[in-house]
Amino acid sequence: MTTGHDVVVIGGGHNGLVAGAYLARAGKKVLILERAGEVGGILRGGELAPGFVAPGIAHTVGRLRRSVIADLKLERHGFRAIEPDVRVFAPQPDGRAITFWADAGRTAEEIRALSAKDADAYVAFDRKVRVLASFVAHIDAATPPDVKVPSIADAIAGLKLGKAFRDLGAKAGRETIRALPMAVADFVGENFEEEAVRGPLAARGVLYTNVGPWAAGTAAVYLSDSAGSDGGAPGQSTFAEGGTAELARVLRRAAESFGAQVRTGAEVMELLTRDGRVVGVRTATGETIEARAVVSTADPKRTLRLVDPEVLGPHMVWRAGNIRQPGATAKVDLALGGLPAFTGADEDRLRGRIVIAPSIDHAERAKDASKYGQVAEEPWLEATIPSLTDPSLAPDGKHVMSVLFEAAPRHLRDGDWSSERERVGDVAVRTLERYAPGLGELIEARRVITPEDLETEYALTGGHVYHAEPGLDQFFAWRPLNGHARYRFVVDGLYLAGSGAHPGGGITGGPAANAARAILKDL
Amino acid sequence: MNLALDGLPELACKPGKGPWLRGAISFSPSLDYMERAYDDAKYGRYSRRPYVDCIIPTLVDPSMAPPGKHIMSCFVQYAPYNLEQGKEWTPEMRDAFGETVIDTLEERFPDIRSKILHRFVLSPKDIEDWTGLTEGNIFQGELSLEQLFFNRPVPGWARYRTPVKDLWMCGSATHPGGGIMGAPGRIAALEYMKEKRSGRGAGR
Repeated sequence: MTTGHDVVVIGGGHNGLVAGAYLARAGKKVLILERAGEVGGILRGGELAPGFVAPGIAHTVGRLRRSVIADLKLERHGFRAIEPDVRVFAPQPDGRAITFWADAGRTAEEIRALSAKDADAYVAFDRKVRVLASFVAHIDAATPPDVKVPSIADAIAGLKLGKAFRDLGAKAGRETIRALPMAVADFVGENFEEEAVRGPLAARGVLYTNVGPWAAGTAAVYLSDSAGSDGGAPGQSTFAEGGTAELARVLRRAAESFGAQVRTGAEVMELLTRDGRVVGVRTATGETIEARAVVSTADPKRTLRLVDPEVLGPHMVWRAGNIRQPGATAKVDLALGGLPAFTGADEDRLRGRIVIAPSIDHAERAKDASKYGQVAEEPWLEATIPSLTDPSLAPDGKHVMSVLFEAAPRHLRDGDWSSERERVGDVAVRTLERYAPGLGELIEARRVITPEDLETEYALTGGHVYHAEPGLDQFFAWRPLNGHARYRFVVDGLYLAGSGAHPGGGITGGPAANAARAILKDL
Repeated sequence: MNLALDGLPELACKPGKGPWLRGAISFSPSLDYMERAYDDAKYGRYSRRPYVDCIIPTLVDPSMAPPGKHIMSCFVQYAPYNLEQGKEWTPEMRDAFGETVIDTLEERFPDIRSKILHRFVLSPKDIEDWTGLTEGNIFQGELSLEQLFFNRPVPGWARYRTPVKDLWMCGSATHPGGGIMGAPGRIAALEYMKEKRSGRGAGR
């Protein structure tokens, strides 16, 4: 038996490392256990072919919370953000394209060629997104209220949120309350007439989700994406220098600098309880490690599966089973012998995200397929070429391309993932070829990561990158379960600090930073 | 769609004239069935296999039809007001939609076609023309979260008043929304009387 730790953290992904770093910084003895051979989780990435470094399942990192960067001194540990001027290059099948720049005014001029009305609306819309997202950032930073026994602390937290809300002013306040539960298709659609503008913006509200832009609540996902970042209407396109895995190594160094210990290749198989309280963990090698608190950054379902069902009781087992974690994202990494030539794009325009979502209905149809357990024949794609802004990621003159494929459901109605894997790669390349003729001939290596891989290799139940679907029923005080949204998770001594906890998925460090705050109150 | 029937149709799954025909008869065999019906409407087409909810009111009130005959009222989803590629509802399209509904009914009531004396189909455009309901939305505004409670019909004007002094709203467009409840009218009347009693002008 291993003793002497205050806290065991399950998972060495971004949230596990951030939680461990905050707790160690506060003087706790922290041990972080990572199942894989290296830290990073969805930041992990890896060598696709000799000299080609692919990003992880997440390929941009611009949502990393500013306070996390500052508190954990990530820049001192080597974090460098690369922020290209371009946010999104969004081509159309007919050869037209819009480039969304960091500068909203410049974007409006791009749009003018397609629609003067939309061009006139764009700057105000970008400003509105920033205002509404600024309030979402306040929600994200808060611990959800205790709905059963509200305390004075909840009242104060509520007043803080209330103040942030009042600071918005009456008009923006009303618009925020109206916008959050909306379908992103309506939210974007009521401002723009041109599908070439609507599609790529609305798609941002359904990245990594199992629903299309016509689903209620996707406007909240869209706004969350710009909360606390400089995202604005098109969202951020920030890269980590050295690749996403380098950010994971930075987080590890930061955690270790505060005294946290990190062990890789250490899989937790069971949470040990005594008298209904979590007292430690047992690993795959049979080692038991005692701790005063166990902080899980595994997804909520996986976390609760580590607990003896008798401790949970039948009602909680049933509730846990109902947490929605329907993954619908696959990933295709390409090693390219040269830069692909996208119609209508110079090199500068390809430095951000390349979004193939030519209309709202296109994105919706792609998700229709996954709804019925099928891989989309006409997917919507988000691609990046990180080697354009960071040449260290590929051999001279060559490039690495990372493609998120929407939608590909974890559970197929017909067939299985062993036979569908390469088809996803083929469909992705075929789709890209339509916009970048000749891209296929540049491919030197290709790797497809299926939702099944996300479940087996990344330990994401249901293959969901965000752990729990970001629906209105799994938001804030309902994330992942009403009554268990305050990071103290179901069993005494157990805490949830991963993407399944508020404020949810994405490379933010938010759930971990919020959870650390709650844990330190208890320890 | 309303049907005048020469006699009572028989359900394939449960033949005979039983009490099960006296309430709502819902053709919604699975969640995916209804979802697919909605998928069509999302892209501006009426459902190829709609979800149908029917009642036969003459079973509980024989005065509504001549002896031995029946009326069947079918509520059909989905039939979007806004159609794909800017198309508009025409009488031909309405008739084609009626056929689709009867095809759907026939799958459960195999003998229904032979019993139809008259049929009467209303497209959402017809509903708009006949009743004045914009876009044929019988709830005067979709009952979606962003259009409920303090956001109904629009943020800032959910208290039955309007930007125009002494103009009030009390229909389904106002809280708590559509359905044969009378609730928007009642609450609006109470609000109105409260304001008149207090002697204050139109406030928010």
